[in-house]
Amino acid sequence: MARRHALIVGSGDPADAVAVGLEARGWAVSRMADDTLEWTDDTVATRFPDRDPIDLVVHARYPAPARRRSALVELSTEDWCRRADEPLEAAVRLARAAHADLAASSGTIVFLVPLMASAGGEGFAPMATAAEGIRLLAKSLAKTWGAEGIGSHAITLDPTAFLDEADAAGMAEANSLHDPPLGRVPDLTNEVATIIDELTTDDFSSLIGASLVVDGGLWMPG
Amino acid sequence: MSTDASHTPPPPTPPLAVVDGLLAGRVAIVTGAGQGVGEGIAASMASAGATVLLAARRAETGEPAAARIRDAGGAAEFVRCDVTVRADVDAAVAAAVEGHGRLDVMVHNAVSPPGPPRPIQEIDDETIALQIATSTTASFHCAQAAFPHLRADYGSLILLTSPAGIEGSGHLPLYGTVKGAQRGLLKSLAREWGPAGVRVNAIAPVAWTPAMDVATEANPTLEARLRGRTPLQRIGDPADDIGPVAVFLASPLSRHMTGQTLAVDGGRYLGL
Repeated sequence: MARRHALIVGSGDPADAVAVGLEARGWAVSRMADDTLEWTDDTVATRFPDRDPIDLVVHARYPAPARRRSALVELSTEDWCRRADEPLEAAVRLARAAHADLAASSGTIVFLVPLMASAGGEGFAPMATAAEGIRLLAKSLAKTWGAEGIGSHAITLDPTAFLDEADAAGMAEANSLHDPPLGRVPDLTNEVATIIDELTTDDFSSLIGASLVVDGGLWMPG
Repeated sequence: MSTDASHTPPPPTPPLAVVDGLLAGRVAIVTGAGQGVGEGIAASMASAGATVLLAARRAETGEPAAARIRDAGGAAEFVRCDVTVRADVDAAVAAAVEGHGRLDVMVHNAVSPPGPPRPIQEIDDETIALQIATSTTASFHCAQAAFPHLRADYGSLILLTSPAGIEGSGHLPLYGTVKGAQRGLLKSLAREWGPAGVRVNAIAPVAWTPAMDVATEANPTLEARLRGRTPLQRIGDPADDIGPVAVFLASPLSRHMTGQTLAVDGGRYLGL
């Protein structure tokens, strides 16, 4: 049986770790890094001319500028666009470009988002803006594409998945008065990649537009 | 049981809350105030005593809207403003501060029309860029330009989002995306600006707007279906239903609220 093909979009973690984890679980993995700005309908076909059809897209594209801590009042409009608007627009363009493949394969698209999307992040307003938009993109795609057999989900990860140690610690402290009940944050390579893998299986075909929080219990919304 | 609400009389509606004087002495800017929800919020804030600058891209809607408020006894003026242009937003803020000495409330309501229902793969580049510009870039412009003045006296930033920005939208996926993005911004700014005494909240309305008029005209069953799925069985009025909630969020009555999104929709979307 041919290996299923996953496209991982984004540089650094969590994209890198999830790519390793999916490869370990038998996926053929292609990568698209942060510097791919101009998404068109044939971007995927152009970048991977001899590829297998894509069964899974994992989006974790938050370029380095977006991950930088800054007070909103200190940002220029150019800063804002680079940190918020461009990542959001690229995610929409990715979804648009990936539709044909995912429809053909009854595939799955998973958006990895930082905790600040749902919870807010002091000093990270642009990244939170892009990320919450992307989380809602996942829901909206599920409503549109579900009838075509395409799965669309968002997974909220703990702050360490996207930020450096100091910023992640500050965000964890701002969002919870307790340590994660799990006693640690989830492992991206094994645990998060496994959840993504499982979301592509028939066992989870009735799960539509899920917005999962995989953070070891750090934040328990709703 | 029939879900057709067109034959069902709407339930009794209580009289409007009295908000006279609640915003006396305060100065507000409302973007996209030439019609619909923006005009309704501007009218409501003016009736509560605020001086309101109606920021709109087109004078042919903004001027008459301001005149209607003045005719009703309110203090209102039109300022031309394309919220995607930073200089326009700066000029609107300057008009408030130089003309009235302060700015206490910034309401970002302007939105690019989402257009007809389309799946994401059929949305063109221009529409994507415009929707993002009016929702997120413009929110940034309004927030940053207003902040130095809002912090002077416990001011308030109010963003108009949508139920689509909370539960997503199959019909308007891009609209759901950009409206969700605004909620990421408001929660972050609530954290960032709380220590300065500036509150940041949002309203997710379902109301009669020019866009709703167009939608119901194109789809004659829409109103009855929407009413049938709304516990209060009517679609909100911009001035009488949405405006007073904006007044509440702008006033000291909500002084311990920040980072919240209030669904003002007759109960249409429960469990958000």
